[in-house]
Amino acid sequence: MLVVDDEPVVADAIRLVLGHEGFSVTAVADAESALAHAVLDRCQLVICDLMLPGLSGLDALREMRARRPGLPIVIITGYATPAQEESVLAAGATAFLPKPFDDSELLTLMRRVLSQAAAAREERKP
Amino acid sequence: MKPGIGTLAILGVAAVTAAVIGVMSVIILRAHQGASIAQLTRSADQLSETIASSTHHDMLENRRDAVHREIITIGRQQGIERIRLFNGTGTVMFSSDEAEIGRAVDKKAEACYACHAAGRPLARLPIHARARIYRAPDGHRVLGMIRPIANQRSCWAADCHAHSPAETVLGVLDVNLSLAEADRQIAHDQRRLILLAVLAIAASSLLLWWLSRQLILRPVRALIASTRRVAQGDLSTAVPATARHELGDLARAFNQMTSQLNEAQRQLAQADKLASVGRLAAGVAHEINNPLTGVLTYASFLEKRAGNDPETRADLAVIVRETKRCRDIVRGLLDFARQTPPKRQPTDLNEVVRHARTIVTNQLALAHVGVELELAAGLEPVPADSNQIQQVVVNLLLNAADAMAGADAAPGGSIRVRTSVVELPARGHATIRSAACPKGCDLLDGHARLAGVPTLRVLRRVGEREAVVHLDPVYGRTNHRASAPCEEGIIASYQCPSCHVRLDLPERRCSECGAPVFAVQTGRLGVVEWCTRKGCPATRWEAMDAAGPRPFAQIEVEDTGRGITAEEMDRLFEPFFTTKGARGTGLGLAVTWGIVEGHGGSIAAASEAGTGTRFTVRIPQVPEAGGSEATAGLRAPMPDARGETAAARTAPVAPRVAPAPDAPPAGGAGGTP
Repeated sequence: MLVVDDEPVVADAIRLVLGHEGFSVTAVADAESALAHAVLDRCQLVICDLMLPGLSGLDALREMRARRPGLPIVIITGYATPAQEESVLAAGATAFLPKPFDDSELLTLMRRVLSQAAAAREERKP
Repeated sequence: MKPGIGTLAILGVAAVTAAVIGVMSVIILRAHQGASIAQLTRSADQLSETIASSTHHDMLENRRDAVHREIITIGRQQGIERIRLFNGTGTVMFSSDEAEIGRAVDKKAEACYACHAAGRPLARLPIHARARIYRAPDGHRVLGMIRPIANQRSCWAADCHAHSPAETVLGVLDVNLSLAEADRQIAHDQRRLILLAVLAIAASSLLLWWLSRQLILRPVRALIASTRRVAQGDLSTAVPATARHELGDLARAFNQMTSQLNEAQRQLAQADKLASVGRLAAGVAHEINNPLTGVLTYASFLEKRAGNDPETRADLAVIVRETKRCRDIVRGLLDFARQTPPKRQPTDLNEVVRHARTIVTNQLALAHVGVELELAAGLEPVPADSNQIQQVVVNLLLNAADAMAGADAAPGGSIRVRTSVVELPARGHATIRSAACPKGCDLLDGHARLAGVPTLRVLRRVGEREAVVHLDPVYGRTNHRASAPCEEGIIASYQCPSCHVRLDLPERRCSECGAPVFAVQTGRLGVVEWCTRKGCPATRWEAMDAAGPRPFAQIEVEDTGRGITAEEMDRLFEPFFTTKGARGTGLGLAVTWGIVEGHGGSIAAASEAGTGTRFTVRIPQVPEAGGSEATAGLRAPMPDARGETAAARTAPVAPRVAPAPDAPPAGGAGGTP
């Protein structure tokens, strides 16, 4: 699982919660590092912040979606507007989670997204 | 000082008038003079004819004494200077001036010159050639008329044989008339003409001065004064525009320009403020939400793993709860910036108040301020957004604590919070939240507020005088404000300040004094009327009167702080207005006002400087059908799903006109001092 956020406290908090659930979490601070990271090609899930230094979260999202069409990608942001949510989902995000969230909100969403992805894989496998 | 337009015009006209009258006077005087000289010349000719014929017989008889007497007698008549008779050699034979008799006259003398100029005397001369004008030794003018006496058969055939038949001219009769009287008359006429000319110049200058003052200077000065006021930023100014000529058109165009500029500036300022709120909110949200994510995630993670330590669990629960409250505050700020409508659910206001007190307890304790609750028993649930109303109460409590903690307030004390239900009639309480002219211009003015509530902006006209009047938006109250005074009892005409359409309702009359009324449109809630007579308090809002009294849930927050001054009162709910200096953002009461307006309610403050302030919040028990959310107060319609910023979406303040779903309930805004 790959976490992209330039705020260490956010990345650490996600790593704490998901790591405790048994996920292996890799955190990077910007979109370029994320796209260059080898983990991207084999991870189960990406959590990506929208406002990143350099390449924006939205651009990273499009690039990742192009490379891995079935990968669940969750976009998190500190400034959530309904319009933003719509454009993020239109760009191919699996889910949109406004900051701040607590551990159960995060876990609930991750489980839902992963089970949906699993169901989709089952469907593709005849 | 540079000469004014009036002075230049007067000088120009005076010069032209003087020239015309001067030329005219010279022509008239010349003609007059010529006519009177011609008249006198004819008189002199007739006189010489008379003398010649009356002396003819005496001459033939050679009665020289008789001729002499006759000439003396005629010569004494008034206006006759002298009569003399020369013989052919130029010797004076007879004269009214006896001293002259016998004296010889040179042929070159003025009396002889006409005939003898060529050396040889002419026998016949036309009348004008026989006349001459010369100056007597004492200076006055004299008209001389000579008459050659021709030789006749009776002359040389007479017994005296004085003349031979060879002579053609026997002598010359010279009649001299004094021109003194005629000259006096001409001088008198001249003086009269000059006087008249001066009078004409003065009168035309005066008339021009008055006309230029009335028609040009006054309107131009008014325009200049208004232009200066506009240059200083006062866009509510208006010039009298009653004149029907071009300056009137200019004044009307000027007024239209300023009112449109004013409107544009008002909207721009409002948009700017909202844009600032939006930017601030966005910045705050982004900056604060990251650390909040850390705190919230760690705390909630730890809370679940605190094991059997109830104390730690409780502490962590506080952290989680308060962090979520921070999240809600940030969202509230964003909501204010984005103008989101409240999510109404049946809400127990007492519970909201209790919870709000819990939230601020610690903060108030630090300021040594307590909170006393007087909650009404059996309060009906109110359709409201509990989070938003809680924010209102929290804001008011923190505001009260700040007012009590100030340097100029007594330390400590307590805030009293009361809840109750009140039934309020529309009159005196309902607020006009939407107002348009018949052409649809928005009349609501968020910049000129009365007790924090936007007023209605109209243009009042009395004769030539125009004034911008801000009408009290609370139905039945008359704390109107005008940019210029107006005598009591005057019936004025009211117009839209933007498009100048008349607001008068010709078919209606004031119920109290019978004067005409004017009205604004409130969309679904019909029209609100006021009397056009200055000082008459009559006003009418049929739709609201018909609806009868309405129940409101009321929350009062009363402190014993420093109070609010009258100047602060009107700007109280303006975004970014703060009396707390760097400690305040100026958003607390603006957010509060927005929330209450969003609920179709009202908020009002009553204060006495030094003794404290009471805020009264009223939320309608039954929201107006059609949803107050859409148009209440500052709020614009809910966000569309475009990518604009929140502020950009809410920027256009104006279009709040029919047939859009309209203004909500009349919340009561009572209790203002």
